[in-house]
Amino acid sequence: MSVAALHKKEMAPKEYKSDVSVVWCPGCGHHGILNAILRAVSELGVDPTNMVSVSGIGCSSRTPYFMQSYKMHTLHGRAGAVASGVQLARPDQMVVVTGGDGDGFAIGGGHMPHMARRNINMTYILFDNGIYGLTKGQYSPTSRRELKAYTTPYGGPDDPMNPLLYMLTYGATYVAQAFAGKPKVCADLIKGALEHKGFSYVNIYSQCVTYNNIDTIQYYRDLMREIPADHDTTDLGKAMDLARGDGEGHRPMGLLYQVQQETMDERLASIVKLVGGSKDYDQNKIINQFRP
Amino acid sequence: MSKENDLIIRVAGEGGEGVVSTGDFIAAASARAGLEVYTFKTFPAEIKGGYCMYQIRVSSNRVYNQGDTFDVLCALNGEAYELNKHLLTPGTAIVYDYPGGDFDPVIPEGVHGYPVPMSQAAKDLGSYRSKNMVAMGALSALFNINEETLKQVLTKKFKKKGDEILNFNLKAFDKGKELGLALKKSDSWRVADAVTPKDVIVISGNDAVGMGALLGGLEFFSAYPITPATEIAKFVATHIPKLTGTLVQAEDEIASLAQVLGASYAGRKAMTATSGPGLSLMSELLGMAFMGEIPTLVVDVQRGGPSTGLPTKHEQSDLFLAIHGTHGDAPRIVLSVEDVKDCIDMTVDALNMAEQFQCPVILLSDGSLAFSTQTVPAPKPESYTIVNRKRWDGQGKYFRYAMTDDMISPIADPGTPGGEHIATGLEHGANGAPSWVPANHEAMQRKRFGKIQGLAESYKPVEIDGEGEADVGIITWGSTIGVVREAVERLRAEGIKVKGFYPKLMWPMPVAQYEAFAATCKKILVPEVNFQGQLSHFIRAETSIRPISYTICGGLPFNPVMIINKVKEVL
Repeated sequence: MSVAALHKKEMAPKEYKSDVSVVWCPGCGHHGILNAILRAVSELGVDPTNMVSVSGIGCSSRTPYFMQSYKMHTLHGRAGAVASGVQLARPDQMVVVTGGDGDGFAIGGGHMPHMARRNINMTYILFDNGIYGLTKGQYSPTSRRELKAYTTPYGGPDDPMNPLLYMLTYGATYVAQAFAGKPKVCADLIKGALEHKGFSYVNIYSQCVTYNNIDTIQYYRDLMREIPADHDTTDLGKAMDLARGDGEGHRPMGLLYQVQQETMDERLASIVKLVGGSKDYDQNKIINQFRP
Repeated sequence: MSKENDLIIRVAGEGGEGVVSTGDFIAAASARAGLEVYTFKTFPAEIKGGYCMYQIRVSSNRVYNQGDTFDVLCALNGEAYELNKHLLTPGTAIVYDYPGGDFDPVIPEGVHGYPVPMSQAAKDLGSYRSKNMVAMGALSALFNINEETLKQVLTKKFKKKGDEILNFNLKAFDKGKELGLALKKSDSWRVADAVTPKDVIVISGNDAVGMGALLGGLEFFSAYPITPATEIAKFVATHIPKLTGTLVQAEDEIASLAQVLGASYAGRKAMTATSGPGLSLMSELLGMAFMGEIPTLVVDVQRGGPSTGLPTKHEQSDLFLAIHGTHGDAPRIVLSVEDVKDCIDMTVDALNMAEQFQCPVILLSDGSLAFSTQTVPAPKPESYTIVNRKRWDGQGKYFRYAMTDDMISPIADPGTPGGEHIATGLEHGANGAPSWVPANHEAMQRKRFGKIQGLAESYKPVEIDGEGEADVGIITWGSTIGVVREAVERLRAEGIKVKGFYPKLMWPMPVAQYEAFAATCKKILVPEVNFQGQLSHFIRAETSIRPISYTICGGLPFNPVMIINKVKEVL
């Protein structure tokens, strides 16, 4: 959450759209996620001038181009690390990362735990389609083993990871999940993430109609189970239970976990306060320490 | 052998035995006495223990390097003696722990031996840990190291720990002094007498980079620990919060440069510091900084490579990586420092260039400078010119990558109304939107290359050491410059016609200045501490000069006599 960006504008969702044409395939789940993001920022009255969207490489990493805001289209796997720099340098800005499962959890996997444990005050929206779409259909860290893809003609040799469990384990303070076929649910969870102070992670399943013929929209409809209304979102153990699944192969939809904790930028600000930091600090005091 | 008023003392022993603090005390005391100091140390990659040596060169004149070899060896243990005994040539002196130490050295013919029972005296005083104080007292008595200023620096250091500890150390020092005075001095080695103290600081290369960064207006630093660069992060971590800035220790070097790009995009002056392995990891993001025109500074404190290489040892072997290390055509500005003073001043220059040209800048330091402490004129914060990036004036429609006369496009920071734009690694048009138009890619490459091309001649002219015609012209870079300065001076004193050419801007290369220099020299010699002769390679590639490459890569810097001998060989 960023005070500077929220409740500043009255703009319709489509006014948040840039004039760059959307390049995704017809029927791709990403269209629904983009619309959910536009809806969320509209409902929150986000000022695009104070928002920075950051992405890496992949189909979903094109998202910033389609939106009104400050934005960075960075390198494969590095969006979260770049965005961390933006947020820590400019805590007054609202920072949003959009990216895919390969970008985030394969090549970018080294950065994921650290955004979470540092509680960087930003939102990471992961478009999880279980495939590398931009490179024409290779299996990803979230692909099911049944998926016969470009480089796995006989099926995958390794098991998929569990993004929710991963994020909960590393200390994300807002963890939610939905699928692209439920735009209203997606928009509400993204809204909650943007308003949350701390690192918020939203995993959104998205059907790839071109390269993933097993994770269809119908597959996700059958897969997802709404989280019961009486779930205690401050209970990490229960959130982890949900993330593990119900034992019958279903996946949770909704908000799993949300707690308030000090953010990294707040901790850094308290160091500045501790040492009495000031823009006018006399540097001669530092220099004098090196006099013999 | 050293000149008059120019003494080199090498303290050697086991890591953790006080070698480093002894050296630091002697250096600080000498600087306090108005003398010039250049220190050099080597230590093992092991976590604790191992052989460690600290060499202090003290002179009443300016010193440019660590010197040829020591005049006085202070051996705190048998290993230190064993490793250095081949350097005990007639005329040198050795102060050693005897009796009571772990060795009984044979003092070679012509060497001045001074046995001081350091361990025994320390034990008698009640703590083995005061051994180095005993050694220092003896050195002070034997070689005229200013007792008054030594006691001042000891007091400054130990006062914080209480009077008891201070007095104990002073007592050990006095004991050593007494032992030293009891010996019959047979040599004439002595530190120059005190002169009027100058307005100096004594600082290491790594701390100096940190200081330069703050003087240059740094606001954000992201680092990942790596030898021999980590002290830069420590300095910045300690001091940047005082100026409201931020230091983050990232999860790896890729993340540290990624954060720097993010912070710089967000409008803050940002940098990272690393060594060769880290720079290798950063090379993809350097391309992004070039393509996205994001002001970026990376300091590379070079170490012995390749791969993990010799992590604590000296080498100048990252020039290829610094100039060309990334895919695609993406050069950057590369600077290199000669000494600790440059570490301060050129870090300011490097930050300014990143801001002015909106591109990555790499500043090369090296392992021998990283830990070398030197006397440097105390910096005056108000004397530095600070450059800020060209920012958009908010007028009209904003194009981030607009073509301008100087090929530098105004930047809008997040939060600037109307300045919303994308910074991207994809080829793009003036507005940042992806573009595959052939003419656009060519025009954009010309823009990104063109904006830094003029720097080759607009940066301060390359220093030329000497005038007129020379039989041998020496072109060198980095900390080797300091070695060459002394070699050139000594060769000239012998009547040999030599000149030096000392570039600090490594890329873009001031080709015309190289050519003009070479035109005044019969032969060009290029000494550098790497296997391939990396600067020689660029000279051959970019100029008509055909230099004689002189390379070493044994983990240690050159010393002046090596250069002198080589010049005589090629004459």
